Amino acid sequence: MNSSVLIDIFSYGCIAVGLWFWLWGTWPLLGHRSVLYKLHGLSVADTLGSMLIVVGLLMKIPREWPLLMLALISLAIWNTVLGYVLAYCAVGHGHGHGEMLEGADTQGRTVSLRYGKLFSSGNSREVSHDG
Amino acid sequence: MSWVILVMIAILVIPIYEAAQDEDIWQRMLAFASIATKTSLMILVISVLRDDWMIGVVGVLILSLGNASLMLLAQVIRRVNES
Repeated sequence: MNSSVLIDIFSYGCIAVGLWFWLWGTWPLLGHRSVLYKLHGLSVADTLGSMLIVVGLLMKIPREWPLLMLALISLAIWNTVLGYVLAYCAVGHGHGHGEMLEGADTQGRTVSLRYGKLFSSGNSREVSHDG
Repeated sequence: MSWVILVMIAILVIPIYEAAQDEDIWQRMLAFASIATKTSLMILVISVLRDDWMIGVVGVLILSLGNASLMLLAQVIRRVNES
């Protein structure tokens, strides 16, 4: 088999797998899940898929390797940092160190975890929480 | 090779729709971050398709600058929500 055909197969394979990663990570955006759930899938699948696509392009045109290398490095660094910063800003609504989680208990009351203590909205009783 | 662009446009519609219909600001920011990465990757693919180095430079610039500016925007929105 000719080597250029082999390189073509590899590059199209990389691009196709990257596009599949894109679709897999972007599809949960349509659901009604929390921001963190969507962010997790999106940051993993978007970064990996984009890097695979760039590697596929790199195999097609190796002459432009400085540019595509720069794209790879900036993808790897910026997308991870952006995911962290978005998660930090979306969760910690200005409560000091951002240590606040909210959810619902089995009776449907809103329960929030602040500074290591559990607060429940249904009754004003403060539930102590160790560890 | 143009099938790659067509599939990319089809996937790009999902975050655009999400950004248009969701009211929560962080869900919107998430969709915009996804749109930024996907558009710049499309520009890179087009630059390889047309064998044009200049378009590729623009794509890489958008890739790094767009993500960095989204980070700054997230910090600004957090500060505005605080006060």
